[in-house]
Amino acid sequence: MAVTKSLRRALHIHHPKATRKTMLSKIYHWLDRRLRLQPLTQTLLEEPIPGGASWMYVFGSATLFLFGLQALTGMFLALYYVPSPDAAYDTVQYIQHEVRFGWFVRGLHHWGASAVMVAVGLHLLQVYLYGAYKPPREPMWIVGVVLLLLMMGFGFTGYLLPWDQNAYWATQVGTNMVASVPLVGDLLVRLLRGGASIGALTLSRFFALHVLFLPALIIGGIVLHLFMLRRVGPAGPWSDAQARQRREPFYPRQVFMDAVVMFGGFLLLCLLATTIEFPLADRADPSDHTFTPIPEWYFLFFYQLLKYMGGPLEPLATWVLPSLFVLGLLLWPFLDGNPERRPASRPMALGAGALFLVAVFVLLGISLRNLHAMPKMEPFVARGQALFGQHHCAACHRIHGEGGKIGPDLSYVADRRPDRQWHVQHLQSPQSVSPGSVMPPFQLEEKDLNALTSYLLSLKSGESTAPGT
Amino acid sequence: MTSSKHSCESSGTKEGGVPTGPRRTFFIWMIRVIPTVMGVSLVIPLLGYVGSPAFKRREEAWAAIGKAEDLVPNEPQELEFSRTVKDGWRTTIAKKAVWAVKQSNGAVTAFSPMCPHLGCGYRWDASARQFQCPCHGSVYDVTGKVLAGPAPRPLDELPIKIENGQLLVMYKDFKSGLDHAVEL
Repeated sequence: MAVTKSLRRALHIHHPKATRKTMLSKIYHWLDRRLRLQPLTQTLLEEPIPGGASWMYVFGSATLFLFGLQALTGMFLALYYVPSPDAAYDTVQYIQHEVRFGWFVRGLHHWGASAVMVAVGLHLLQVYLYGAYKPPREPMWIVGVVLLLLMMGFGFTGYLLPWDQNAYWATQVGTNMVASVPLVGDLLVRLLRGGASIGALTLSRFFALHVLFLPALIIGGIVLHLFMLRRVGPAGPWSDAQARQRREPFYPRQVFMDAVVMFGGFLLLCLLATTIEFPLADRADPSDHTFTPIPEWYFLFFYQLLKYMGGPLEPLATWVLPSLFVLGLLLWPFLDGNPERRPASRPMALGAGALFLVAVFVLLGISLRNLHAMPKMEPFVARGQALFGQHHCAACHRIHGEGGKIGPDLSYVADRRPDRQWHVQHLQSPQSVSPGSVMPPFQLEEKDLNALTSYLLSLKSGESTAPGT
Repeated sequence: MTSSKHSCESSGTKEGGVPTGPRRTFFIWMIRVIPTVMGVSLVIPLLGYVGSPAFKRREEAWAAIGKAEDLVPNEPQELEFSRTVKDGWRTTIAKKAVWAVKQSNGAVTAFSPMCPHLGCGYRWDASARQFQCPCHGSVYDVTGKVLAGPAPRPLDELPIKIENGQLLVMYKDFKSGLDHAVEL
């Protein structure tokens, strides 16, 4: 009785106020009479959750939402982006600086990529913790792992698209790792790159993967994943007693929780997109081998691991461990024979999971610490850099993609002007060493002149040019 | 059943944990508001994003086309010049030409090379002393006035200035077929 009563009451969601028929509900009923939508909405929204709704179950929906946002912003980016080595960089700059709200759409897409990885990680953790991969949910888990791999594929292919130094060289390293696979490594790399080296074919290949192949595959996978969820039902809490306590339909409380988390995520992304800039590095230069690429943060733990495994151990890190890990992950429901779902009764599984997390975070921490310690500027040179900012030199001069185009690009000025005296003279009286120059003279104290010169002299090729420094 | 239903009704939770009453209304309301807010805050930037280049006015610059002293009074000359065209994210150099003529009163006029009727390129016939358009037979005199043909207005004049003896012209495109010049 209570069940049918609650169902009937719940069905009144399609009549928000029992007597008032809103436009929305009229449209719904018109469609329902023609398409028999009721069973569909019932399955979607009336899904009973054993143990009731919980904030712990929001991560799957959050991931789906963030993926949707990536797809949306990605589509709009594709209106202006051109996947050719000649155009890619310029089109991204165009979006960033000339298209109205271009910086916002690009920002959402950039930060959204990180957000979706976090959401995927949290979702995976929650499912693992709750033992929701155990029978009968093994196929769901396997599809989930495939979805994770596809997500990483998105991250990897997307990274190349801006075609700046970071994009190019990070992809160089990434594809080289594929080459380390024995027997088929070389073939795989050539397939991936569309040739022996990274070039135009690589870019168009990665673009097609990122925008056409991967979306098709992941959407298929998501549909399968959700279909399975509906067939087998949500796992609910790990304790049978708690599960029996109540059964609550998905709508409205779980939907509410999902919506709140989606909204929170969305607000965070908007905040990040509007406050934190991430300019492009210099245009990709295949001849500049001094550039040190840095992968996205979700690959940093692996980047760090690679550093520890040099020489004969290298293949271990480049393909053996990753392959074993992926295999282990896919087959985990079968490797873990323990039928128990309570964490307290699964010491091995929880222990392994905790160990993995600790390892990943430690590696990530080390990597981040090294990155920020990296180009430690001499205080004098740092003073010079500060002076450069104070006197607004960037209004006319460009350094590594930032600044105006009125004066010469100073990114590598020390290569062509290595003489300290020239700079000191030039700063005080540009026309005396550079006739016809429109640069105004700068009267600075000797100490400041020298600091500024030291900074200019530090701008040469061969110096690490990690972005953000 | 009925008694427990009544007692739970006001607290907002039914038997089995299904939310009811004002609590339920709150959840449903939030489920409507949140997507709406997100939708609106996306739609506005995205519309701007899509429309942005379509409605941008092309910025024009002065282009040097030649020396003022090279012009012979009442003898139009077709002067070629290169202008940088901003084509979305890229800049290309396009070759353009204008008809420049020193009028009898000494002023220099530069005409857009496109016939105001439908945009064809017209020519100067030195013997007939007329601008003639080969497409539909519009004819203009040296001042650009329509003498014959379907042209709806005289030849479009471009802004021109002389600096240091150099002729500088600002190239513009105009809508064809209208009775007065409207910039594109």
